[in-house]
Amino acid sequence: MALLLAMETSTRAAAVEPYQIAVIPKGTTHEFWKSIHAGTIKAQRELEAEGIPVRILWKGPLREDDRDQQIQVVENFTARRVSGIMLAPLDSQALVKPVGNAVAARIPVVVFDSGLKSDKHVSYVATDNFKGGQLAGEHMGKILGGKGKVILLRYAVGSASTEEREAGFLDGLKKFPGITLLSADQYAGPTRETAYANSQNLLNRFGREVDGIFAVNENSTIGMTKALRDIGRAGGKVKMIGFDAGSASIKDMKSGDVQGLVVQNPVRMGYLGVKTLVQHLQGKPVEKKIDTGVVLVTPSNMEQQEFHEILYPPISQYLDK
Amino acid sequence: MTTEQEQRRKVIRSRLLTLAGPFIGLLFVTSLFALSSELRPVFYTGANWKNIFTQTVIVSIGALGMTMIIISGGIDLSVGSVVALTSVVGARLLEHKVSAPVTILATLLTGGLVGLLNGSMIAGFRMMPFVVTLGMMGVTRGAAKWLADNQTVNFDGESMVTRVMEKVSPDTFFPLPSGVWIALLLTLLMSVFMRCTVFGRYVFAIGSNEATARLCGIAVRPYKVLIYSIAGLFFGLAGLMQLSRLSQGDPSVAIGLELDIIAAVVIGGASLNGGSGSVIGAVVGALVMAVLRSGSSQMNWPNYVQEIIIGIVIILAVGLDRFRQSQAAR
Repeated sequence: MALLLAMETSTRAAAVEPYQIAVIPKGTTHEFWKSIHAGTIKAQRELEAEGIPVRILWKGPLREDDRDQQIQVVENFTARRVSGIMLAPLDSQALVKPVGNAVAARIPVVVFDSGLKSDKHVSYVATDNFKGGQLAGEHMGKILGGKGKVILLRYAVGSASTEEREAGFLDGLKKFPGITLLSADQYAGPTRETAYANSQNLLNRFGREVDGIFAVNENSTIGMTKALRDIGRAGGKVKMIGFDAGSASIKDMKSGDVQGLVVQNPVRMGYLGVKTLVQHLQGKPVEKKIDTGVVLVTPSNMEQQEFHEILYPPISQYLDK
Repeated sequence: MTTEQEQRRKVIRSRLLTLAGPFIGLLFVTSLFALSSELRPVFYTGANWKNIFTQTVIVSIGALGMTMIIISGGIDLSVGSVVALTSVVGARLLEHKVSAPVTILATLLTGGLVGLLNGSMIAGFRMMPFVVTLGMMGVTRGAAKWLADNQTVNFDGESMVTRVMEKVSPDTFFPLPSGVWIALLLTLLMSVFMRCTVFGRYVFAIGSNEATARLCGIAVRPYKVLIYSIAGLFFGLAGLMQLSRLSQGDPSVAIGLELDIIAAVVIGGASLNGGSGSVIGAVVGALVMAVLRSGSSQMNWPNYVQEIIIGIVIILAVGLDRFRQSQAAR
């Protein structure tokens, strides 16, 4: 038995031990997270070509949007002693302790997509969400001609990334004194269904007078656009600006129901996350904060080459099955 | 061999099966992960079991209260919401610099109060526990969001409360967070309480046959109120543990927790018809699910595999229970 064990360990040591990188998104059903996943695989392939084997362990919380479940995933990977963890925290506060524990167990953590109120992680790889919100606010002001009534549909409490977008949007609107806010305190919630229902409720009250709406993530954009179509105010009657480029949102933009999408680069985020973590594991210095870029896509520029890859991330190229 | 002896033997055998069932299940799921050579060296480490135990605390403490309710022939669907409400209550108090002991007491009492309300309606108006607690699930969830101002409640500074579930020394099994010890101690106490006290035996009697229990002179109604209230205290404690774990009060936490807890109680050998169940079994049931979750997450199985497996385990547990009953009846 002991001999067998010894043999097993020796054969393992002979091959280069791959870096085990656990990637923990906020959820797994959004296309956004699939693009992140694709980005991590892209980095894995590149690194493998350079002779650095990497294994990606992709694992979201069992119940999406459940902080406790995400903590459990972090703990389980800490116990499994992976080489490093990439985490998109569901809450900037609640995940501080588990990340601290992982770091105490000498497992480096790269935080991506959404911030964490901690200084223990190696690097923060994310979109400049405030800037993304600003882009939306400025575009809204422009297409409304500087005056009108707008609604800001928030996502969820405690999610740092969307809160920054919301703040950025309000900041971007400041340049347009003629624009008033009808509502900025409603939340879309975690799923497309909750977003749809909350949008319907909101439009039931404000649907007749609203001129423009900004929704801060993929599901709230889709839910709100659908609710606008239901009451016959889509197609540009109400200017709709969304965040993230899910395939449903792109379709809505083509059909004229969405006037602008602030688009992040999730493939790049996943890619740079893995690259940064591996760089750190190899003992090289890394940037404390890495911006992965954000752009505004409108119906007029969506066919341009530079936006094409962002709008249609080559997911199938990396995620088969 | 007389029939009396035979009968006694049968009873003992069925008791043993009931007691051993959950442990066999635990052993099975634990050894399941030994099949993977990759997981073997990391799964059976002190650090990992410390994790698993810590992850079981909330469900276990909830299961202590739930077992009592289910044995008495009732059910409580409001647990998840009560955990959210009490975690928010605790966080609000800590936010206002209330001392830790007062916070703990108030949090437990909040849980107890919801239990008292549930019990009074169920016993007083002879309403269905399922419906009453389903309503209360909404009421308490709403109250939690209201009290929390629809957002998470964050407070400054460390407190005794936040340290209960804190893990130090990530590489070793000991020291365990004090929450684990509290859960363990309460499990033993409750087990003795249910088996050896008059109150405990009355709970079984009420669940087996309420009418008979009443005819035997048990004041069924007050006991029911008491059962739900005591269970409420446990749910309050679970809320306190949740608060400690997240280090914030979160009104949207623990959605669906009641189903995990009920599943643990059922895996532990309880019957939803009332009259049978085991406190230790329920806690082992909670461990079975935590081990499965931890293992499948480390095996890198997708979440849906996990959900399917846990669902099958619950059905198997109920199937085993039916088998036991038919054996005992024969």
